Amino acid sequence: MKSISIKKLMVAMTATATLGTAGISYADDPIRIGGLYILSGSAATYGEFAQKGIDLAVDEINGSGGILGRQVEMVYEDTQGKASVAIQAARKLVYSEGVDALVGLDSSGVAQGMVPTMPELQKPLIITHAATPDVTGKLCNSFTYRISVNVAQNMKAAALVAAETDATNWTTIGPDYAFGHQSWEFFGNYLKEINPDVNLMSETNFPRFGAEDFTPFIDRVMDSDAEGVLISVWGGDLVNFVRQANTRGFFEKDLEVMFTVGAATEVLTALGEEMPEGVHLSTRYWYEAYDNDINDRFVKAYLDAYGNPPSYNAEGAYAAMYAYKQAMEAAGSTEGPAVAKALSGMSMEAPNGTVTFRKGDNQAMVSPNWGVSGPMHPEHGIRTLNNLQIFDGEKVARTVEETGCKL
Amino acid sequence: MKTKVLMAILAVVIAGLIAVPWIASYFYVFIFTEILILGLFAASFNLIFGYTGMLSFGHAAFFGIGAYATALVLIHLEWPFLVCLLVSMGASALLALMIGFLSVRLNEVYFAMLTLAFGMMVFAIAYQWRSVTNGSDGLAGFTLGSFGLGLDLTLANPSVYYHVVLGIVAIAAIVLYLICRSSFGMILKAIRQNPERVSFAGLNVRTYRLVAFVIAGTFAGLAGGLIAPFLRVASPELLHWSMSAEPILMAILGGTGFFLGPFIGSAAFVLLETWITTYTESWMLVLGIILAMMVIFFRKGLLGTAIDWWMEVKK
Repeated sequence: MKSISIKKLMVAMTATATLGTAGISYADDPIRIGGLYILSGSAATYGEFAQKGIDLAVDEINGSGGILGRQVEMVYEDTQGKASVAIQAARKLVYSEGVDALVGLDSSGVAQGMVPTMPELQKPLIITHAATPDVTGKLCNSFTYRISVNVAQNMKAAALVAAETDATNWTTIGPDYAFGHQSWEFFGNYLKEINPDVNLMSETNFPRFGAEDFTPFIDRVMDSDAEGVLISVWGGDLVNFVRQANTRGFFEKDLEVMFTVGAATEVLTALGEEMPEGVHLSTRYWYEAYDNDINDRFVKAYLDAYGNPPSYNAEGAYAAMYAYKQAMEAAGSTEGPAVAKALSGMSMEAPNGTVTFRKGDNQAMVSPNWGVSGPMHPEHGIRTLNNLQIFDGEKVARTVEETGCKL
Repeated sequence: MKTKVLMAILAVVIAGLIAVPWIASYFYVFIFTEILILGLFAASFNLIFGYTGMLSFGHAAFFGIGAYATALVLIHLEWPFLVCLLVSMGASALLALMIGFLSVRLNEVYFAMLTLAFGMMVFAIAYQWRSVTNGSDGLAGFTLGSFGLGLDLTLANPSVYYHVVLGIVAIAAIVLYLICRSSFGMILKAIRQNPERVSFAGLNVRTYRLVAFVIAGTFAGLAGGLIAPFLRVASPELLHWSMSAEPILMAILGGTGFFLGPFIGSAAFVLLETWITTYTESWMLVLGIILAMMVIFFRKGLLGTAIDWWMEVKK
């Protein structure tokens, strides 16, 4: 009996120790916003780029009087690209750090796990990257918004691009989780609708997210009779993939190659000339696609501060901070439910034009960009995009009924 | 006198644990829920590790299958929570019986490797059987219904869920403790010290090892059944071999020679992780340093060292 009780004493000591860290005051403190990004591992550059976009926005906002007269302060947590880690991190940010709102999420799998818990936290979340249609679809709720393009929008655009090519036999190489599987599913459905004659091959390739070696999948596609291949591999994985594909002669084959997130500047910067010319590249925001004052200012400030052009993830995160500014000022408070309500149906000016959070599913009507890789940019050290197409965000979106979202 | 003091401390600790939602910051409700669940997971592991002397590298298989069982039942059948937990325990007991039957016949490193291999097989199934397990994304989006027994509890409320976990973990810990203190538990200890001698005494060592393995797996499954509604996701990471390492670390950190050691280890592990990740992302580096120090200087773990110290001072 004796020994057990002493052990309990240890629990008591730890319990009392925790009490010291409790207690958060609100008064005239800065407005705190929690950022949930991948900050470690092969996709960590995405988290870094998002942080850069956010830092830029926070500096600008704080320099011009803050939000509701209060300064803005960021608190970050690493999601490690895992749903369970992200859910715990969000609870920590809300209940321990006392954040007023959340931004972030890089991975569809993380988003699918975390979004259903948002109503419990009673804080708004603006997703700036994760693209699974479900979170503004069957899993939607009144606290979750997305300012970036989703898979359904981008794959509708991809199908329109693919339908213009001569390829009829299509296959895919994508990461083995929600994003890769849903990209292929939506692409296939839309492409079949436009051109019923296409053949969606049953032989598909889903390497593990974070896999180092893609050569077996590259070889398999090269040995098959595929004429077109949709590649939704992203981040550090995509950098590895392109390097390995180069050594295998993948791009010399007569294939229509479509990279669904290939024009992410994180990837283009890392690859430089290794990204081949003449492949279809997409991004949720291309920094040279929008001719407006906000974009000019944003791109210039970003180039001045960091030396490379902004990626879509930086732009989404940047715009999300301004979305919160506008929503909090419209609501006149930082209360979670009030801010979430103000975001619904809200229109704002962002680097990629006027952005509206659709009332029915909280998805922003933003435009996917597709182009074909061209010569190197003389100053920015990355490939340029030719034949740039800016799809109308609303036209490529599912209707609210199709999303299955009921708010 | 000593016993009285210790009983008083025990009562204060229990009262403190019950009062966590009212006395600590709200965030610590989540932290203590996690500590309790992982503590049960580690304590179940310590039955085979600390008591019987079997180092398993596949204990997460039972934890994970418990989590998946509860998630699947909540998604497809929406049964009461207590029934989910029984399904979790049943599923993990069955799996432990199968893996244990094939593993306990081997010793030492061969046993460790075999459990690691079986654990990775279970992981691979959860990872690849997309239609049932939703692959690498895991199962999410389930809602918590009724508790069972006609009790009207809002399980989605984190404070309520904490108290439910506290109650269930306390009952499970008492049962595990009674098992450890029973003659059966004594034989397990004897097996750790000298299996040949137990064998010569006419006892079937293999059967005892198998029963211990199944009991440990069943309680790990219960912990898994508790973690899925807490995390709101049952993902393959819960089955991964790195998850199997956590109860080993917790048991060593807290002290394998004491029943409550793994719970102390779990508390230290979770609290350190929470505090350290606030300042740096390299929490594993810090954990590694702490573990190395523990093994080199404090081999009895936090609890064992504390008890030794107390005995010295309180003479």
